[in-house]
Amino acid sequence: MNDVLKKAEDRFNETAIDDEVVVMNLDSGDFFSLTGTAGSIWQLIDGSRDRAAVLAALAAEYGVEPDEIAGDLDAFLAQLREAGLLTAG
Amino acid sequence: MSPARTPEQTMELLARESRWRRGPVPDALGGTTVPPGHRFVHEGKFLLRCESGYGYLYVPGEGVTIERPEGADPDEEGLWLTGTVYCAIACLNGLLPIHASAVVAGGAVHAFTGPSGAGKSTLVAALGTLGLPMFCDDTLVLDLADPARILCLPGHKRLKLTDHALALTGARAEAPVGADTGKHYAAPPGGDHARPLPLAQLVFLEDDDNPDGEPRWEPIAGAERFARLADDHYTQELYREAMRPTRVEQFALRARIAAQVAMARLVRPRNSDRFAASAALVADRLRNWE
Repeated sequence: MNDVLKKAEDRFNETAIDDEVVVMNLDSGDFFSLTGTAGSIWQLIDGSRDRAAVLAALAAEYGVEPDEIAGDLDAFLAQLREAGLLTAG
Repeated sequence: MSPARTPEQTMELLARESRWRRGPVPDALGGTTVPPGHRFVHEGKFLLRCESGYGYLYVPGEGVTIERPEGADPDEEGLWLTGTVYCAIACLNGLLPIHASAVVAGGAVHAFTGPSGAGKSTLVAALGTLGLPMFCDDTLVLDLADPARILCLPGHKRLKLTDHALALTGARAEAPVGADTGKHYAAPPGGDHARPLPLAQLVFLEDDDNPDGEPRWEPIAGAERFARLADDHYTQELYREAMRPTRVEQFALRARIAAQVAMARLVRPRNSDRFAASAALVADRLRNWE
């Protein structure tokens, strides 16, 4: 699990409104609103970080131990993959 | 892509393109038969066939041809012309009509939106009695040519109110609207405004189930601003039919409006005794708008 996380840039559009991010899946037309930690994770997936780096940055941002949020991170990454918003890998 | 034009030029274009004459209207456009009760857009042209028998054909540069059937209600003619047909012409010329009534405060437009019967016209009439001029009734046409701001083009429709709304607002009734709409045209109590202005905010009208509830004004923030733009119904359908925007273009349009226009909801009981209080609340919010 040390692959760099990459967004499927050709599969979505996004816009920031106030402190939320709205993402649209271009295939389905479905919208996702990303707030709080979901929004943070989305921003941290910038094509340079793998899962461990995202987890470390997220833990630092929220001032918690990585173990405390690893499950939430994995669940959200699974949702993004299922929605087709992350490239395979 | 339309060439850049000033809002005044756009107003002139709309006035020119919505000129009409009577004549025969075909029942097909671009080889597609359009049955009564349907409409169709093809290569910039718009054909509407009403169930009553009225037919409308818009051709860019030529305006609108209207076919009036024998024995038709003459008042219906203008309702279609200023409603669906006008919206189609606006869409086909790169404008975005939305289902809203609006007033002017602080040099900008404040628009109230909601489904039919939500009280948009009634509120605008009441705000007129409180000194805020009407900008439009029922349809607000947005000019998106300037990327830095969203401009509104002044209303082309007369204010229409039910007898109940006339009584609530004290507006003066004029001629009845059609044979059986249950509405009258009314003079805007605060006058109206005839020049383009920027859009300040969209206010969504919502009912409070508690008939004795206090009216509430609640700002809308974040992704809900984006989501609420799906509320508007028939004009968006027309826009999609006319412009055939891709998902990316639709997303960009909604994102732009969400970013450039403030939004709020007005939650109030549909209780006549509380109506004056909700109108006063809105007038106060608009007068203090920054």
